[in-house]
Amino acid sequence: MSIIEKVFQNLKKENKKALITYSIAGDPNLESSEKIIRNFISEGVDIIEVGIPFSDPMAEGPSIQLGHERALKNNISLLSIMQMCLKIKNDHPNTPLVLMGYMNNFLSLKENLFDELKNNKIDGLIIVDLPYVESEEFLKKLNDKGVDLIRLISPTTTEERIAKILASSSGYLYYISLKGVTGSELKISNELENRVSEIKKQTKLPIVVGFGIKDAETARKMSFCSDGVVVGSKLVDEIGKFEPKKENILNQNLTSIISELKHGIS
Amino acid sequence: MSKENYDFPDKDGRFGEFGGKYVSETLISALDELEHTYKKVIEDKSFLEEVKNDLETFVGRPSPLYFAQRWTENLGGAKIYLKREDLNHTGAHKINNTVGQVLLAKKMGKKRIIAETGAGQHGVATAAVAARHGLECIIFMGEEDIERQSPNVYRMKLLGATVCAVDSGTKTLKDAMNEAMRDWVTNVDDTHYIIGSVAGPHPYPQIVRDFNSIVGIELKDQSRELFGRYPDKIIACVGGGSNAMGIFYPFLKDNSVDLIGVEAGGSGVESGKHAAPLSDGSVGVLHGMKTYLMQDQEGQILSTHSVSAGLDYPGVGPEHSYLKDTGRVVYEAATDEEALDSFHDLTKTEGIMPALETAHALAFAKKIAPGLDNEEIIVINLSGRGDKDMANVAKVEGLTL
Repeated sequence: MSIIEKVFQNLKKENKKALITYSIAGDPNLESSEKIIRNFISEGVDIIEVGIPFSDPMAEGPSIQLGHERALKNNISLLSIMQMCLKIKNDHPNTPLVLMGYMNNFLSLKENLFDELKNNKIDGLIIVDLPYVESEEFLKKLNDKGVDLIRLISPTTTEERIAKILASSSGYLYYISLKGVTGSELKISNELENRVSEIKKQTKLPIVVGFGIKDAETARKMSFCSDGVVVGSKLVDEIGKFEPKKENILNQNLTSIISELKHGIS
Repeated sequence: MSKENYDFPDKDGRFGEFGGKYVSETLISALDELEHTYKKVIEDKSFLEEVKNDLETFVGRPSPLYFAQRWTENLGGAKIYLKREDLNHTGAHKINNTVGQVLLAKKMGKKRIIAETGAGQHGVATAAVAARHGLECIIFMGEEDIERQSPNVYRMKLLGATVCAVDSGTKTLKDAMNEAMRDWVTNVDDTHYIIGSVAGPHPYPQIVRDFNSIVGIELKDQSRELFGRYPDKIIACVGGGSNAMGIFYPFLKDNSVDLIGVEAGGSGVESGKHAAPLSDGSVGVLHGMKTYLMQDQEGQILSTHSVSAGLDYPGVGPEHSYLKDTGRVVYEAATDEEALDSFHDLTKTEGIMPALETAHALAFAKKIAPGLDNEEIIVINLSGRGDKDMANVAKVEGLTL
């Protein structure tokens, strides 16, 4: 059983929902982003999504775009990000670390990518601009190394496609709550809840909801119909306020956001 | 390559390994709808008739094939002809595509049009068709380009479009395209995104190529009539590559015709400061397509450099990547300096002021024409007029208007 599966199984036993964070590696710098992730884990975050900074983050709203820009100034490599993940994994083997980014950065490692992911104990990948039709070969190589490719499903995904996506998914499913970029205003509707419930009927995989979740209220409502929620822009906004000598204050503020969200979904 | 069987893109939207649909899941349904609608309308005689009528009465087609006699004499070699896309309504080839795509948008019931623009030519061509059909129009343009192409910005506004300044990343064409994608993903139900080049996810490279291929189709007729044969060489500038694809495509199977694409060499390809991914790039994925890109070892897209805003793009249409690898089209580069030089040459000897983008194609012709026999015929796609570039040229040369 994969670590991701175990996490969801344990949560289910306790009748709890997953809290998943997204923060960008290298924002504000690689060392601080490692501390931020370690803090998330110690505050009880269930799964960590590690954003890979890209020069052209097309799916992101303003908050996360700025985060990518901040991280890129530090000239960090995908390999150094994976090495950071390995350090964290060695201390927290039971917390899944999932890299989330754009295809071009993953392609930069060519065929070495798959071994590096395995050697650095990465649990899964989310590739924003790799829809299922383009991913066949890539998926096979990932699965050979025991790495999950986490698929996205959006409000515009047709029923026919959902079936195909489900057939080749592992880990968990990421349901995009809205038509838009990350951090957009989320309007919670019955339609959204119904749709997640419909997909749940077709799969045993856990479904988490992301985009636009920024407080206890949105987290609570989205956790009703799903197995967990992803919070990103809210955290990246806070990280954007980082000042070199006040790292502790940043982590305190992040801690209070996490505990608010955890309260929301409990 | 078996040129006789050239039939791309394939069913997955690929040109060999290039192309595809690398977009976020939310956009897939819109791309599928576009692909489906496009397949239907290109079989529909009334749609094709409507496009044809608009090309004749709104755009002013066919565009003439002009003999650049004085320039030919000055260079003293091959005969140089210009395919006059600069004479189209709105001043460039871009309108060939927008005329078709706006009709597609209407077929799909879309009420809102968005587009990216670099030099502003595609923005103007989009704003013009949106005005004509009474559709809301938003144009995304990098802040740096807004500055160097200000006449076109005002033109778009006069045509009723909203121009959104993009201040992210390098503040040029690629960032305008990112922002247009973000808008599209947000307003996907009622919005059609008119991509202005043979770039982006499938089916855009195909659609934009097909609508622009009227240029090559006309050239075939005109050259048969004028020369009794096809030209020996066709030269076009390549940024994203729509004017080049438009004039090349009908000739791909005619092996006697040399096809030459000219990229923006900036300060020189060896300097690294350029916008020539086919000359000095590597394969990657950006803006929904697999293609040659200017990128670093980590897959971060590099900033490009070109005196011409329309060529200042780190990628290129996937079909060009395929044609480069198969060798059917040869890709060269011309520097800023060479382009400026040819801009002046053509303006002074022929009374035609070319766009700075087009001037790159002229610069390469200038290089090779003197060494060729005077029976040889070169056709250059004169993709746009240069009025929009006057302030920029003056600035580069230290003058103020």
